[in-house]
Amino acid sequence: MKKLLSFLLVLGTLLVLAACGSSNSSEEQPAETSGEETASNEVNLYTARHYDVDDELYKKFEEETGIKVNLIKGEADELLERIKREGDATQADLFLTADAGRLHRAKEDGILQSVSSDVLDEQIPANFQDEDQMWYGLTKRARVILYDKETVDPSELSTYEALTEDEWAGRVLIRSSENIYNQSLLASFIELNGEEEAKEWAAGMVENFARDPEGGDRDQAKAIAAGVGDVAIMNTYYFGQMLNSEDPEEVKVAEGLDVFFPNQDTTGTHVNVSGAGVVKSAKNQENAIKLLEFLSAPEAQETFASVNYEYPVNEAVEPSELLQSWGDFKEQDISMSALGENNAQAILLFNEVGWK
Amino acid sequence: MQRRLANFNIWTVGAVVIILMLFLPNLTIVTGFFTPSNDNWEHMKEFVLRQFVINSLILTLATAFFTILIGLSLAWLIAQYDFPFRRFLKWALILPLSIPPFIGAYTYHGILNFTGAIQTTLREGFGMELDPAYFDIMNLPGAIFIYTMFLYPYVYTITQVYLSEQSASLIESTRLLGKGPWRTFFQVVLPISRISIIAGASLVVLEVLNDYGVVKYYGIQTFTTAIFQSWFGLGDLDTSIKLAASLMGFVIIILLIEKLLRGRRQYSYFSTKVRPLQLIPLSGWKGFAAAGYGMLILSLGFFIPVIQLVDWTVLTFGTIPMEEFMRYVQNSVFVAGLSATLIVILALIVGNFARMVQGKYTKLLPKLTVLGYSIPGAVIAVAVVTAFVALDGYLAPLYLAIGLETTLVLSVSIVLLLAAYIIRFFAIGYNSIETGYDKIGTNFRDASRLLGAGPTKTFFKVDVPMMKGAIISGFILVFIDVLKEIPLTLILRPFNFDTLSTKAFQYASDEKIMEASQASLLIVGISALAIVIFYKILEKEMD
Repeated sequence: MKKLLSFLLVLGTLLVLAACGSSNSSEEQPAETSGEETASNEVNLYTARHYDVDDELYKKFEEETGIKVNLIKGEADELLERIKREGDATQADLFLTADAGRLHRAKEDGILQSVSSDVLDEQIPANFQDEDQMWYGLTKRARVILYDKETVDPSELSTYEALTEDEWAGRVLIRSSENIYNQSLLASFIELNGEEEAKEWAAGMVENFARDPEGGDRDQAKAIAAGVGDVAIMNTYYFGQMLNSEDPEEVKVAEGLDVFFPNQDTTGTHVNVSGAGVVKSAKNQENAIKLLEFLSAPEAQETFASVNYEYPVNEAVEPSELLQSWGDFKEQDISMSALGENNAQAILLFNEVGWK
Repeated sequence: MQRRLANFNIWTVGAVVIILMLFLPNLTIVTGFFTPSNDNWEHMKEFVLRQFVINSLILTLATAFFTILIGLSLAWLIAQYDFPFRRFLKWALILPLSIPPFIGAYTYHGILNFTGAIQTTLREGFGMELDPAYFDIMNLPGAIFIYTMFLYPYVYTITQVYLSEQSASLIESTRLLGKGPWRTFFQVVLPISRISIIAGASLVVLEVLNDYGVVKYYGIQTFTTAIFQSWFGLGDLDTSIKLAASLMGFVIIILLIEKLLRGRRQYSYFSTKVRPLQLIPLSGWKGFAAAGYGMLILSLGFFIPVIQLVDWTVLTFGTIPMEEFMRYVQNSVFVAGLSATLIVILALIVGNFARMVQGKYTKLLPKLTVLGYSIPGAVIAVAVVTAFVALDGYLAPLYLAIGLETTLVLSVSIVLLLAAYIIRFFAIGYNSIETGYDKIGTNFRDASRLLGAGPTKTFFKVDVPMMKGAIISGFILVFIDVLKEIPLTLILRPFNFDTLSTKAFQYASDEKIMEASQASLLIVGISALAIVIFYKILEKEMD
């Protein structure tokens, strides 16, 4: 018995000591680096993107500039709430997320600051910047229709709206309305067509569902292969990832599918962005801007496109070969901020029409 | 009166302070219940809340039923009988707890879906074209299966320790009186292990109510979904706190029911001879049936998902930068070990207090501390950040005085994360400890006090030695839970502080479940190791 007690005691003491040690070091770091004379050489990033490719880019940035990138990765809304709660004392310099709606919410919540940089203006087209330059888009992501090459002739496909017609009854696959990509999609329809039509579309989709929404984007593609449905609304980069999967079965599924860019003759294909904004009370404002410039520069943009199959925002950069093979397409011509403005309304509509 | 005074000592003060500190951050949520409702709340009530509540009820009740069925039957077999593989199964049956339910959910979907092992084999090996709906696990029954397979060990562990250590004399008396195994089970074992069954099942229920990963991926709308929808989707934290407060009210009702069911009855040691039950050997087919049942559950809850994870790890090996993994392991073990130690110590103090106090209402006081377990982690995180930013505000002059240039010290350090873990997982440690205290009763303590030992000496010399089973199981359960934890760690960790679970979650949330397998496998491995090590210690202690 004594052994057990002393074991626990020693363990406890060690852990407490270790805790003091580690919390001390993490406290001292910012104090040292924010000294007055020495220019700070770090930047604190709160990011909702978890891709390995991002980490590689940060490492490259550190090598090139000597500025250390400190990271907290989490879910966008939760990070946003944390920055809000930390107030002016927050350590966050840059807030990065994979959805324009969240960027808009960050702006509305007053946690971002306006930033002007010639480099950013040159590298990022105006419609992928916030109008007050509170945030900048970094990558584009198209939400398209994937179809079964065997059962669907692409000439049958035209628009998102057409998927609600009778001929598609029981053939349409898409994930749950809880997902932000679907919310942004409906938000874009509210912006383009008005609330009534958007609601009709959502209700029509529910009518035509091949099954209750379940799983993620990849699962919709697999459901096509399994014969549950014939078309799925998905983000393009998931398709790219499946084509390049380590699992040969996933590759097989992806090879049976093809991309269709809807609404080419009307409002354009829905596009969302990953993007970032400098936090209002950022202590390392200049470094944050440098990082933004780095991420929108050609080299980083090519990496995003070739490793993660996202579309570059920088027009000087050609999309990767795979992306080009899917062809050019016309994008929705709306301000990205609209996705954020209409987000809550979109959720209410989803609930009302019973889109799970 | 005299008795009350005698109880007023450093232990009482300590316990009350701990209870208040654990409860304080939840206060923001309690008060949220009374804020006036707005349009979003009305919208929720009109369109979705009914279905969400129904789904949550089915999910929790069914999971509670099946975890009790499996957990209790296994505990009874292990405690009473001897059969092949019994010594192995005794500890191995806890292993499913090492798999985070959301990883389990992804893994089973991975096995069963169109590109998974089963359908692929049937299709390509046997040329069978089966309706994919047969293999669809992403629905309510599927989620119940997942929760049951990965959470039943809560019921199993607590009940098994109780039955093996405590009830020997009672059960043996029953046997001597000539009762058969079924009557022994229903007339003696079931009633006396009621407390531990309820303790285990209430952990399961709270865990299910709180979980978000499984239901989100499987597309099942529950009460927790509503909380997140109103907060993240509608940007309406007020409504989501109102919902969280309702959930908390529901949990309070569960706790009261538990209290009622437990009643006034107490079963504690009658003699100092705490010896294990004499095992009845099961021979022939009975022995094989018992072993087969244990192995089946263990395969479903552990071996099958682990084999799938190993398979994915092999497929993706080399595609993920490995050099960081050692750091994730260190971080994970460090926070899990430290918070488990702290929780066990605090739970011992509060549990001791709960045993001593006589008043009806004061007895309920410690129950407040388990409320943290009823609130979704992300909501706790916000409450904790708010509390610590305020605390840092009070301490700011001090920080400036000692030359720090920042006014946020505690709230950006690991202290924040540890505090959140303690609030969140106190219930897990406390349930174990409380069951332990219930078991030893107060007879020996009273004797010790009568013989002149002070409360502190009595605690260390009498109580703690008799509680080692409860202490160890409490420690393991918390350790493993922290290792698996997601939302708190994601939101509250300091810069550049990744753990195995945050890493696994990040891949999984990007639908890269194959890439998530390496971190998942390490979580499982470390948890399994913890289970083995502590069981070895426990066995040595028992000899």
